[in-house]
Amino acid sequence: MDFSETADRISRKFQKSGQTIDPKKIEGKLRRLIEEFGVQPSEAERSVTNDLAKEFNIPQMGTGGGGGKGGGATEPKKIADVSPEEWVTIEGKVVALSAPGSPAIAQSGIIADDSGGIRFVAWAKSNAPAMTVGLWYHIESAVVDEFKGIASLKIHSGTTVKESGTDGVLIPSTVPIVNLHTGVGSVRAKVIQEWDASHERMLQSGILGDETGTIKFVIWKEAGKEKLAVGSVYNIFYTLVDEYNGRLSLNLTTATIMQDDGDILVSGGNVAVRGALVHIAPGSGIIKRCPVEGCNRALSRQNYCPVHEIQPKFIYDLRIKGWLDDGEKTHNILLQRDVVESLTGITLDAAKEIAENNPLGMDEVFLQMRDRVLGRYITCHGREIDNRLLVNTCERLTFESSEHAALLNRAGGAP
Amino acid sequence: MSTNAREIGRKEGSFEREPARRVFASELRECRYDFKEGTDEKSPTFVLLPTGERCNRVFIVGTLTEKQRQGDQNIFYRGRVVDPTGTFFIMAGSYQPEAMQQLAKIEVPAFVAVVGKPGLYRKDEASTPMVSVRVESINVVDKDTRDLWVLDTATRTLDRIEIFKTSTEPDVIKAKEQYPAIDPAIFRRMAYDALAQIKI
Repeated sequence: MDFSETADRISRKFQKSGQTIDPKKIEGKLRRLIEEFGVQPSEAERSVTNDLAKEFNIPQMGTGGGGGKGGGATEPKKIADVSPEEWVTIEGKVVALSAPGSPAIAQSGIIADDSGGIRFVAWAKSNAPAMTVGLWYHIESAVVDEFKGIASLKIHSGTTVKESGTDGVLIPSTVPIVNLHTGVGSVRAKVIQEWDASHERMLQSGILGDETGTIKFVIWKEAGKEKLAVGSVYNIFYTLVDEYNGRLSLNLTTATIMQDDGDILVSGGNVAVRGALVHIAPGSGIIKRCPVEGCNRALSRQNYCPVHEIQPKFIYDLRIKGWLDDGEKTHNILLQRDVVESLTGITLDAAKEIAENNPLGMDEVFLQMRDRVLGRYITCHGREIDNRLLVNTCERLTFESSEHAALLNRAGGAP
Repeated sequence: MSTNAREIGRKEGSFEREPARRVFASELRECRYDFKEGTDEKSPTFVLLPTGERCNRVFIVGTLTEKQRQGDQNIFYRGRVVDPTGTFFIMAGSYQPEAMQQLAKIEVPAFVAVVGKPGLYRKDEASTPMVSVRVESINVVDKDTRDLWVLDTATRTLDRIEIFKTSTEPDVIKAKEQYPAIDPAIFRRMAYDALAQIKI
């Protein structure tokens, strides 16, 4: 491992206060801590800095000088420019606070300046003053680290946090959805779909889209949080951008959200896929949904909703989940009730009748639908989200003699 | 835009179902080379088509002309599905109970759509392998679907032949090595004959 960079950084810090220290010596100290004692590099840097500060009798290096003198202060950096494994001083506005997930954490949230935003965590041990949303702070000697590819600013006991008195209005610039990356981001997007909530603490989840793409979002239940309206456009500032299984998603719980009057032509709006329906998945056919308002989850055979338990007054619905295959790629497709009715010719009422009177019940609906559509050629129009085609309309392919003739020419023509 | 989204999906390593290839019986019959991708027990196996495409799954539509129950302890069904160029051998055993029961139920002859996995089977080390399709699903369809399949399969076959001529894809190169005696041009003739059998 190479410690020279860190050593240089420490050495430079001391140079500012008029001390020349051989970087080799610093390097040796760092190496000992990290290699022999398994100390984290950032912790080692802090420890070596403090150690040397003591040795040269410089008042607490990391924490800077009180009284506006700014002993070891560095120039504030733009938030967009900070990178992991770095000690930084920044000046920014706290734009969001979230409930700390552990007693070791005093505060966590997002701090932003005009260049961007970053997540921060203030350790309980840091004794940093509690920060307030909407105020600007000067944060000196915090450490940037990275967890799962997301940069985060750690406020520890060596960090000085001061209200900076700046009163700037911060207007974040939104970025296209395709350009989002993990961390913190701002977008202007339209709610294009709402999903069954998969967890009782979840207020809403679904899909947001703009001209460049679509992305999953979630809002967790918290006081004062409201659901977004499907079809409306919102300016969303400082949302958390997470990654799971290689896919980005937005957690809007702490974001600042403002409705926008405009409209957005969402991309991926009309994909057409032609192919053979090669598989119909279990859970297709007639299903029962939870009647609790805003829930709508599919119930088990015993009418059990994962959140609202037994629901004898369920609502029937139709859907087909399956795979549409064009020979090159297989598309996961989802057909909603009206599309299922027009494709299979079985209406919801007819399906209900079968489900309640046939000895096989709901299975019979599945079997009848399967017999009518499995292995058939269809064209589906819809929106492709997360590799799943949500089908708006679909029709059966018909034999075109012009296509036949063209193919005969192609196959019979000169090689 | 959709292509873009697709590529992103692929890049992200999300689950990709193996597509069902469209291939006529007389091309599939010629397969002699199969391979496994990856060393994992569950890695997919492929047969290599003489036109240079790997094939883990097929979608075929034809006429089920014969079916036969076999085995005492382990019951399984064999069947023959005929397309305009030749015969596919299909089988469904107790590991595919639904497919087996579907097959058991169908009365021959009937137009059927079959989704399944092709595999090479040898009687003994020395004999030439036979290609058989293990059925994942089988369903009775109409003649229109059969005709659409012929168009679809002819299109895909002609596409493969064209790519074969110029491509340097590893699968194409492998096919040239493995099937030195086969000229893919014969499959062009085969596609033409298949198309010509559809009455306008």
